[in-house]
Amino acid sequence: MRRKYWLPGLAVMLLSLGLVLGVLAQKPGEAPAVPGDSRLKVFAQAMGVVEENYAEPKTPKDLVYGAIQGAVGTLDPHSSFMNPEEFKELQIETKGQFSGIGIEITLKDQLLVVVSPIEGTPAYRAGIQAGDQIVKINGQSTKNMSLTEAVKTIRGPKGSKVTLTLNREGFSAPKDFTIVREIIPIRSVRARIVEGGIGYIRVTNFQDQTDSDLAATLKKMRQRLTPMRGLILDLRNDPGGLLDQAVRVADEFLASGVIVYTEGRTPQQNMRFYARAGQEGESPPFPMVVLINEGSASASEIVAGALKDQKRALIVGTKSFGKGSVQTIIPLDDGSALRLTTALYYTPSGVTIQDKGIVPDVVVEEKPPPTDKSVQSLREEALERHMRKEGLTDKPWSQPIAAQELERDLPLKRAVDLLRHWPPPKSLAQTPPASP
Amino acid sequence: MAKHLKIRNLAWLRGGAGLGAALLVLVLAAYRPPALRAAAPPDYEALRLYTEALYEISQKYVTPKNEEDMIYGSLRGMMNSLDPDCSFLTAREYQDYVEGRKEPVAEAGVELIYKDNLLTVAAAVDGGPAYRAGLRPGDHILKINGQLVRNLTTQEGARRFRGPAGTALNLQVLRNGLVKPLELTVTLEPLTGGSVTYQGLQDSCGYLRIKLFTDSTPGELATALKAMLAQRPPLRGLVVDLRNNARGTLEQAVRTTAVLVGDKEIVSVKGRRSESSQTYMGKGREAVKPPLPPLVVLTDQGTARAAEIMAGALRDQAQAVLLGAKTLGLCGLTKAFPLADGSALVMTVAACYTPGGAKIQGKGLEPEVAGKPLAAEAKREKAVTPPPDEDPWVLQAVELLKSGKRQAAAKEKT
Repeated sequence: MRRKYWLPGLAVMLLSLGLVLGVLAQKPGEAPAVPGDSRLKVFAQAMGVVEENYAEPKTPKDLVYGAIQGAVGTLDPHSSFMNPEEFKELQIETKGQFSGIGIEITLKDQLLVVVSPIEGTPAYRAGIQAGDQIVKINGQSTKNMSLTEAVKTIRGPKGSKVTLTLNREGFSAPKDFTIVREIIPIRSVRARIVEGGIGYIRVTNFQDQTDSDLAATLKKMRQRLTPMRGLILDLRNDPGGLLDQAVRVADEFLASGVIVYTEGRTPQQNMRFYARAGQEGESPPFPMVVLINEGSASASEIVAGALKDQKRALIVGTKSFGKGSVQTIIPLDDGSALRLTTALYYTPSGVTIQDKGIVPDVVVEEKPPPTDKSVQSLREEALERHMRKEGLTDKPWSQPIAAQELERDLPLKRAVDLLRHWPPPKSLAQTPPASP
Repeated sequence: MAKHLKIRNLAWLRGGAGLGAALLVLVLAAYRPPALRAAAPPDYEALRLYTEALYEISQKYVTPKNEEDMIYGSLRGMMNSLDPDCSFLTAREYQDYVEGRKEPVAEAGVELIYKDNLLTVAAAVDGGPAYRAGLRPGDHILKINGQLVRNLTTQEGARRFRGPAGTALNLQVLRNGLVKPLELTVTLEPLTGGSVTYQGLQDSCGYLRIKLFTDSTPGELATALKAMLAQRPPLRGLVVDLRNNARGTLEQAVRTTAVLVGDKEIVSVKGRRSESSQTYMGKGREAVKPPLPPLVVLTDQGTARAAEIMAGALRDQAQAVLLGAKTLGLCGLTKAFPLADGSALVMTVAACYTPGGAKIQGKGLEPEVAGKPLAAEAKREKAVTPPPDEDPWVLQAVELLKSGKRQAAAKEKT
């Protein structure tokens, strides 16, 4: 969490490769590289020494978890070890749904506060509001409760009940809200429209539901905007996610050609992904701008790279993060898991993204954050805006983006300008398809 | 003799510059590695999980990995998961550690801990190179000479900050509350000068600063105290400043504290093995003549190790009131354990407790009086330390001494 701020998304960056999960055959003729006996003995000896002599008692499992962390620490920064709890949380994130009541919560001045109820969820229907203070969960005081702990207590199996005791301005005393848990989808696709038949879609990460949500959003957008004069796909601060979802999202806008290919140590890790014809975003081929910044990583870069190389979209913004490796999630026996870098990926033109990132066709810098404010106060201001539903995608999707909203977001403004005056000037690196 | 040896035996590992070679060899000869005593059988289930993980890495990671790197990385990780004073040493590092550093080394004058995968400044010695460059307790070091800090141990981290005099280190530093990391340059040099300074304050109060603990600190403290106690009018109270002080051994802490409290208990250590447990008393002959003026001890997150022992002992044995912020809670005794292949583990074998029985290690000492929140300016890029007579916490301490509420604060907690 602490490190996340200056390298957006670093801590949540993950790109799992579902396809190569499971057994990977060894190259024939190569002896299995099991750790040497004598070195393992040293390790076992060290474990014994610690167990016997460390000032506090430690279980062998604690020590082995630390050891695996250390082993993985010698690899690249995208490889990591997850204990069973962290692995479970990852599965929830990538599945794109969980069972709960549908509120975002945060700790504000030591108090547990509702940031917003998610529309259409049990919490929303029960009348929970942004700013509500959660005093108790199932009768248990939230004083000194960590955020993770609170989230864990509120979540639970579908159909079960949770009681929140809430305090709100205007209440004479805290009130109990008993709510039945449901499956809550995590939205990774949000949309707005811009005057003049332009659509805006923001993808916040790539999880199991992303492609289907995107297809559905595109469909209703095309019904609303006739004709659709252009689309802005906003991948800024999108740390990535599942590789197959990146391929599907790119495929949504491409009728043929390579999207991405991977190269690893074994042939099983060498794969090529091609676009298929017949998706919502292909015909007629409306003009398209993809927004990226240094917070766009992995899956975002695959999509931006494919659409750039296939000349499907103009890329606007600042250089992307530059994470060109594929991680495979390998579950271990006790419910923990390894996230290992198993391959590198390349854009259709054979360029690796590793450390280089995707360079935009049109560079537009975002407004720098005011330097006289601390991280803390910037974060609080963003939260306040979100609670007042002032964020770009907090408003209903069919409400056009207002002029002053564009003024606050220079890359977005530039994208709108480019689409309004399509085709872009020849001086820009690429010649995207003609307008409809 | 036996007791004296024990103290040294349990003395902290201090960077690599610490211990006398002869003494250490003595200790090692008397010590048999416990694993060779073969008490605990290996835990096969945990080992199986470990080998499973190593097997997966060896088979699937994008590039082949050297096995020794893996095992040594594992040992680093295991030690890091314990506490910041635990480290793994390769055979060569262990050799250096046993022999001690011969040549005088320049250093940055900084105490570092590696915790939660971050290299963090515990304290920067007043006036030292790191201090002058602007490093402060709590700063995280992200890069050293452009290289990302990863997978270190506290020991290795410390080693990066020693070397030939004149060596420049370019650091990228993350400070809490700042959006952008700072770029600082530290030039290594030998630390010089004493460890104790003192001056008079308004209202007949005195100010005494211990910036780090060395073998000469007890003598320096005694000299300073005698000079201050000889002043007329007599001292109304004394402010002992132990902020930003994380360097020193247990023995140095005991001897220094004895100057103030005499032959009372100063600290006790307890481990899981009975031979690791011990109580340390001050020596009466090292004490200055009482009576002592009322004491207020300043602490903060940079107060660690020897300074924590002293703060705890002054509170319990000299009715001192602690003022400031919670201490770091890094106060254990470490010991080296050689492994079969010549590498070694440095590990905390016992935790320190104040005479009143409060555990310091892992918890820290909570002051009775919280320091007034410092102006945001003080946390900014160019941290400037005000002179004592303008320092907000020193002034707060003087107010406390003047008001006589100090006694009340001291009693409240007992």
